[in-house]
Amino acid sequence: MRRPDEILDGAARSLSARLASGMTRRSFLGRMGGAVLAATGGAAVAAAIKPETSEAFHFCGHIWTTGSCPNPLGIPRIDRNGYPLRASDGRPIDNLGRLVNAQGFAVDGSGQRLLGPDGEPLPRAPRTRLCEEWVNERYGLNAKTQGAWYRCCDGQIRKLVDCCSTSPKRINGDASLTGYCWNGNRVFCVMYFDSGLKC
Amino acid sequence: MVETFTPAVCGSRARQRLALALFAAGALVAAACVGAVLGLAGSLAGTRGALIAAAALALLAALREAGLVRLPVPQSRRQVPDRWRGELPLPVWSAGYGAGLGVGFLTFQPVSTFWVACAGALALGRPVPAAACFALYGAGRALMTAWPRRRQTDPAAAVESLIARRALVTRANVAVLVVCAGLLAAAPASGATVVSLGTGFDPSVDGSTVARAQMDGGGSQVLVQPPNPDPAVEIQPAAGPGLDGDLLAYMDSSGIRVVNWRTGAQVGRINGAVSQPALDWPLLAFRRDDASYDRLMLANLTNAGSPQERQIAAVPAANDLGRPSLRYGRLAWHRIRQRDSSVIVLYLASGRRRVIARSDVWMLSNPAVAKSRIAWVEQRSGIGYLRLRRLDNTRVRTIATLKGRPRFFWTTALAGRNAYVTRWAPGTQVSTLLRVHF
Repeated sequence: MRRPDEILDGAARSLSARLASGMTRRSFLGRMGGAVLAATGGAAVAAAIKPETSEAFHFCGHIWTTGSCPNPLGIPRIDRNGYPLRASDGRPIDNLGRLVNAQGFAVDGSGQRLLGPDGEPLPRAPRTRLCEEWVNERYGLNAKTQGAWYRCCDGQIRKLVDCCSTSPKRINGDASLTGYCWNGNRVFCVMYFDSGLKC
Repeated sequence: MVETFTPAVCGSRARQRLALALFAAGALVAAACVGAVLGLAGSLAGTRGALIAAAALALLAALREAGLVRLPVPQSRRQVPDRWRGELPLPVWSAGYGAGLGVGFLTFQPVSTFWVACAGALALGRPVPAAACFALYGAGRALMTAWPRRRQTDPAAAVESLIARRALVTRANVAVLVVCAGLLAAAPASGATVVSLGTGFDPSVDGSTVARAQMDGGGSQVLVQPPNPDPAVEIQPAAGPGLDGDLLAYMDSSGIRVVNWRTGAQVGRINGAVSQPALDWPLLAFRRDDASYDRLMLANLTNAGSPQERQIAAVPAANDLGRPSLRYGRLAWHRIRQRDSSVIVLYLASGRRRVIARSDVWMLSNPAVAKSRIAWVEQRSGIGYLRLRRLDNTRVRTIATLKGRPRFFWTTALAGRNAYVTRWAPGTQVSTLLRVHF
């Protein structure tokens, strides 16, 4: 026997999936409808289930749908251009998860460049976009950043970003949804950008 | 066989001893050859699967010898050709008999242990140690022709008394096979063994001689360690060793110096803002850095007074070309940019360049090239891999893994079937040199 919260969860998910899958390209109303449904359904589910039992609750503003894009430290926080940031404080990190300065060199917490065994400053490591480079190399897709939607998280507006591809499967391993992707693409994984604007 | 090596058959006691010695030599050499071939085959095939197979085979053989399972043993039931004694001279037939029994698979096999030894030699993947181990099988064959006659006048009776103790021998054989299965199963899962060689970084290897850099107080030194009994040599202040036989290139305060590390005599020098030498005399690869560009250079030191230099690669100074590796007419280096990283090999004879590995995400760095293989470090977030592949094959193997964010793999070297890699802990600034046998 399914619990009431599971029934609610499933109904909201299937309705959202049907709407998202069926909407036309660049359908503003369709996207808005999906966003409203996701917000209301998501809020209901979030209130009904325990966070520790929900694997899909992986960051504020994003519940029970597509998983996070691959990233250095486990939370797919990005800057406005899609490059990785440390989730805890929004400071830039390289692909190895190290803090970096404006030039991309690895630094410690106080901003001093890290040194190698020979005492010389370390070279830069790659710092590439989670969707366009990480997803494409690790999953062999031609993914690109497309649609987005917004939530209020920690008192500021958070932009939740879809990484879209033509793959019928999403990063979770099951069927992908259209979400906010267009040109026939579907959501492969999601990322977020904290705008810093109060809400 | 004990009845063959008698004074009556051989002609005299002196000829009997000669025949026994030649039989032993034939058995030892033949067994060693079998071991070497198996070890060579293992080295070509890779040892990971062979180790697992050898452990399983040893366990299966133990069960068979204990009588718990019935399995046929591949064997030839023939005996050594009797007519040789009548047709061939004594040195030939006695050595031939030894060789025939020494190879193992041409005659009767009362137990399956021989095939476990074959699997073990294959799993070892090293021809010389496998030959040495397998020679013991030949020694055993030789021993069984000489030992029974020591206490009894009738060698055949001695053999009969040994056969009477067959149950005890079988139990001992089962016990040994079980131990073998356990040891083989407990061998490193990757088929590679990792040994710490102590503190140091930037390894450079030629044969069994290992050079490394070490931090010494405020400065650094280079330590060259030849195999025993030759003493180690320390050079101060020095960094970034590049070893080639008795020659060593290293960085000092004014550039790169090439010396005979045994005598200290200087044979070449490059001055200026140069670093990271790799030596394959008379060629020297190194980096030349200025404010704008990081350049990979190759110099020919045949005329040490005026070396000829040419530029191999260049990147803007914010990017990195790392520490090159130069061996057997091949030059390998890495190129790390913010948008990707690559490991590249240049074939000096043809001028052809090959990208060995490339990633838009991970940091591929510090390659080391040898005669037929290339190794490099693939550093990911929280995990590092030491990768290896043959130059003529695209299959990439992982021969060492380092998990945990506090430690990284750094520079590498490669010689034969040994890879060397620096393990570095930024938090403690301690760097350790590891040797990975694969």
